[in-house]
Amino acid sequence: MSNSASSSLYLDPQIRDWVLFPITIVMTLVGILRHYVTILLTSSPKKLTRAAIREQHALLRSQILRSTASNSPIPPTFYKSISASLSHDFIAGTYLKDGPPKDEGNDGAPQPPLNPLTNPEQMEGMMDGMKKQMVMMIPQMVIMGWINFFFQGFVAIKLPFPLTLGFKSMLQRGVETQDMDVRWVSSLSWYFLNFFGLNGVYRLLLGNDNSADSSKDLASTSPFGGTRSQPQAPMQAQDYGKLFKAERDNLELAEGLYNWSAKNVELRILRKFGKIPPAKA
Amino acid sequence: MATSSIEKLATWRARGTRVSEQIVQQGVMMLENGGLRKMGDEAWSFLEQLALASMDIGRLELADECIELLSEQFPGSPRVECLKGIRIEAENKPKEALEFYENALLEDEANPALWKRQIAVLRSQGSSFILRTVNELTKYVDTFYTDIEGWLELADIYAELNIYDLSLQTLAHVLLLASQNPFHVLRFAETAYTVGDVPLALKTFLRVIDMDDSAGQEGNATKRAWWGVKLAAARLLSFPNSPSESQTSLPSAEYLRLLNELAREQLTGTYFPTSVGGKVHGRDAFVAWLGK
Repeated sequence: MSNSASSSLYLDPQIRDWVLFPITIVMTLVGILRHYVTILLTSSPKKLTRAAIREQHALLRSQILRSTASNSPIPPTFYKSISASLSHDFIAGTYLKDGPPKDEGNDGAPQPPLNPLTNPEQMEGMMDGMKKQMVMMIPQMVIMGWINFFFQGFVAIKLPFPLTLGFKSMLQRGVETQDMDVRWVSSLSWYFLNFFGLNGVYRLLLGNDNSADSSKDLASTSPFGGTRSQPQAPMQAQDYGKLFKAERDNLELAEGLYNWSAKNVELRILRKFGKIPPAKA
Repeated sequence: MATSSIEKLATWRARGTRVSEQIVQQGVMMLENGGLRKMGDEAWSFLEQLALASMDIGRLELADECIELLSEQFPGSPRVECLKGIRIEAENKPKEALEFYENALLEDEANPALWKRQIAVLRSQGSSFILRTVNELTKYVDTFYTDIEGWLELADIYAELNIYDLSLQTLAHVLLLASQNPFHVLRFAETAYTVGDVPLALKTFLRVIDMDDSAGQEGNATKRAWWGVKLAAARLLSFPNSPSESQTSLPSAEYLRLLNELAREQLTGTYFPTSVGGKVHGRDAFVAWLGK
């Protein structure tokens, strides 16, 4: 009975022409527009000074050294001297962008972390993220308002395959009927389907790394979300002085793990070529 | 035809193969057939490649054309700036090139490409600029610690100046950064031998052999390392009590003897494979020359 009831429902072709297609086309066009607006808004990556890069790479140095420690390619004397000089520099603050801290006596006192809002460099980065976020949010809000206002409660399309009842809340948002077959999709749900589904179309039209897709921005809805796209620019106020001190402890730990990879290499080689009997297990 | 040359050019670009003649030949054909439009966004990296290749073989007018196209598309791009600098270098005007790079670095002092070019020009100026080269290069690797090329270049300069100690220390950083490359390890070993740290050299030569896990077919690094083992082991055997400042512990005399023997066998096997059979001319002389 329900089968015949659902098939007795007919959609006016006008709905197809004036609701279904417009929603899809508007969303595609807005996506493309957003792509180009984002390109316009993106400021060129900020130039860093040598000192800033050095500061960022300093942690990398000790991480490289530490990560090889348990099977290190370099002999003990070399390892120790590199490790010691890094520790020394971390304490002295040689790698800090603004040079070593000046007041030696006040070294132990924790310095208050910089407020990101007072630092113009970081402010700029944040504004950038915010601007992009706005470009994402505003058109989506406008389109959703438009659909809600004009097409509220419209049934826009019938899917060509049956679905279970669980999809009802996903496909028939805005249409509060108990009995309608799940295959009917409401206009608001059609909007959401497009919202998440148009990525493939954008990729086809605009290339792989386009900024038209809005669904991926849901993951980073904070205005600080720009951090991911520009790892070069220091967005957060990182207190490198503190990081370096922590890294120094790690270095000392790693020194305990140190083992030269060539420590017993002569035994390994002699065994490999059968000059001495293999080691007992 | 056109697509295959696009692919070829792309592979050369990706691998950094220096086949400038062919790149220019293919590239000119592309330009004439209007292939630029067909390439889409790839066209710009192609133009960069073509510019470099044509400067390499001295077709400066072609390079100028490419650079002009590129600077129209990307005004003020540091990558194009770098090309312009190389263009000045290509005319063999190091003074002007240096000046150019210095000015460009004033704009963007932390651009690694420009900075490296500047160092390269300094290095090519020979001994009178060597102090400045070393200064700049040390500053460079201090800033961009992970640049292996920079470290290798520095090690090379130190070796050229006979400061093998420093060269060895520089190579230690290279090893930290790329511990999987046997050629770097080999270089470390050879430098250690030159410094006079024979035990360290022996260990490191053995490490190169240890890294080679291809069964049967030895890599070139391994063959050379066997020579190193032979040299080091023989020297340690013949002067067992020679004073050494090495911090590396020495293998026992028994192991040294075995290593020496093993190295002799390996080297003989390399140059006179047993599969040839029979009496091979020169084998005895070789073995005698290797010594005990």
